[in-house]
Amino acid sequence: MLTFVVRRLLLAIPTVIAVTALLFLSVTTLLGSPASMMLGENATPEAIAALNAQHGFDRPAYVQYFDWLGKALRGDFGRSYATQQPVASAIGPAMPITLELAFWSILVAGTLAVVLNSVPAGRSVLVPTVTGLNIIGVTVPNFMLGISLIFFFAVTLGWLPSTGWVPWSDGLGAHLKHLIMPVATLSAYYFSAFSMVFRAEQRDVYRRLYIQVARSKGLSEWNVAFKHAMPNAVLPVVTFMGLAMGQLTGGAVVTETVFSMPGVGRLFVASIAAHDFPVMLAISMIVVVAVVVMNVVTDVVYTLINPQIRFH
Amino acid sequence: MLRKWRFLTGAIIVATVALMAAAAPLLAPYDPNKSSVLLLQPPSAQHWLGTDELGRDILSRLIYGARTSLVVGIGAALVAVLIGAPIGLAAGFFRGSIDFAIVPIIDLFVALPALILALIITVMVGPSYKNLILVLGFVMWPTMARLVRGQSLAIREATYIEAAVAAGGSSGWIIRRHVWPNIMRVVAAQFAIAVSLATITAASLSFLGLGIPPPTADWGGMVRSGFEFLALNPAMSLAPGAATALTVMGFYLGGSAVE
Repeated sequence: MLTFVVRRLLLAIPTVIAVTALLFLSVTTLLGSPASMMLGENATPEAIAALNAQHGFDRPAYVQYFDWLGKALRGDFGRSYATQQPVASAIGPAMPITLELAFWSILVAGTLAVVLNSVPAGRSVLVPTVTGLNIIGVTVPNFMLGISLIFFFAVTLGWLPSTGWVPWSDGLGAHLKHLIMPVATLSAYYFSAFSMVFRAEQRDVYRRLYIQVARSKGLSEWNVAFKHAMPNAVLPVVTFMGLAMGQLTGGAVVTETVFSMPGVGRLFVASIAAHDFPVMLAISMIVVVAVVVMNVVTDVVYTLINPQIRFH
Repeated sequence: MLRKWRFLTGAIIVATVALMAAAAPLLAPYDPNKSSVLLLQPPSAQHWLGTDELGRDILSRLIYGARTSLVVGIGAALVAVLIGAPIGLAAGFFRGSIDFAIVPIIDLFVALPALILALIITVMVGPSYKNLILVLGFVMWPTMARLVRGQSLAIREATYIEAAVAAGGSSGWIIRRHVWPNIMRVVAAQFAIAVSLATITAASLSFLGLGIPPPTADWGGMVRSGFEFLALNPAMSLAPGAATALTVMGFYLGGSAVE
């Protein structure tokens, strides 16, 4: 087992290096010299050259890359061009916000998808509702969903605060109130995605003999659905939740922008607008690492839960 | 039956948006880019959806925005098919070292968040009509390649392919004559879904400020500027947002019904 995990992690390293190197090289060549960006349009060529030499921007790109990678591995992502603050101190406080948003969104989406799709068909108005929700989740853009929620629940009804973020320490109630709409927005797409995965598996499970046995024992459809079918169909959703968590750390950009949440996604958008290359690169690297690591974790969890899959 | 309704609903929505785009000059009551002194007017008999912060008629911009949305969505999906289909065909049909080299790249691309990738590339190449189409196509080709690869992997095992090989057919001929026609239906369905994805991503980029540069009428950009005035005139951001959602829904329903 341990060898399997280690081997998977080792295999992931070249991927991370390849992607970050590609990013680093394309950003440095396409966005122009960092010194000219830091000094503005009126800088003299001498000043640019001096700053380039001071920061080592005049070295070959691959030397700069490995220098950056070495420091990044120790948690030093350099300084932001825009604020001159260390990048790590900008990302540090933003990270928990995005992680919390991602965590709740995945949890809500996963739970709702499994529970709502398990309700026996034919007896409830839930079926068309769930189908409708599924279609909304994949087709309504995040920003549209977020703005509509703000319009109804904040502007019109005044039930919820429209934007912003309140930390736990300032009161649990206010904290959760600020989370409801962002979580609803972000979980919509994942609800649909999880639903599709769950339904496909569910269809298979319902063809199995033990479902027939359960039914012929005279168990109610609810009992069959929740006690016998659901536990057997939930596995792919659990693994997919892991993958989604990796993607979401980066995918929260729109939701955080709509709700003015000071998370990593909004920081990323700001760094892109300001051509703040160190921040951009650091966040991209975190996203790539998160995706790759969650892929490995998901594989491992999957093999743990399902012994039919051998460790290759 | 359900499938048929899905397809029909999708087709009607897409046809409506296409008609709106084609007949924009006839349908739009005003020039979409002409500003006036009537800034931020609420909906009225003259301006059904009101005017924006530059005094432009929102309804006219909404109608012209259909053009932008369709051109970008369809253009990007075309780019994705043109890159993804040949690569997927080659990987699936020839397998071996080509497949071995391509699959990790496809897997990685598919795993990365498309919007993040599109944001990074757009900031490097600069936002413009043409770049947006190319960037989105580039971000989406791996999904297409993966699908085509899977399909051609399955088809190459069929007896009629074996027969074609035994008859001495060249690989190119077999692909053209036997493999491609068999996967075209799936590719067409995926094409429609790719259009819906490209439309969402393009609108999101615009909403984040990295889409079609102004003054071109573009739904994502309209939502972005209208969001500030949500309490004043909700139609300013909700109408283009709803138009985007409907267009995406049209292509998605159509594509998923065929698939």
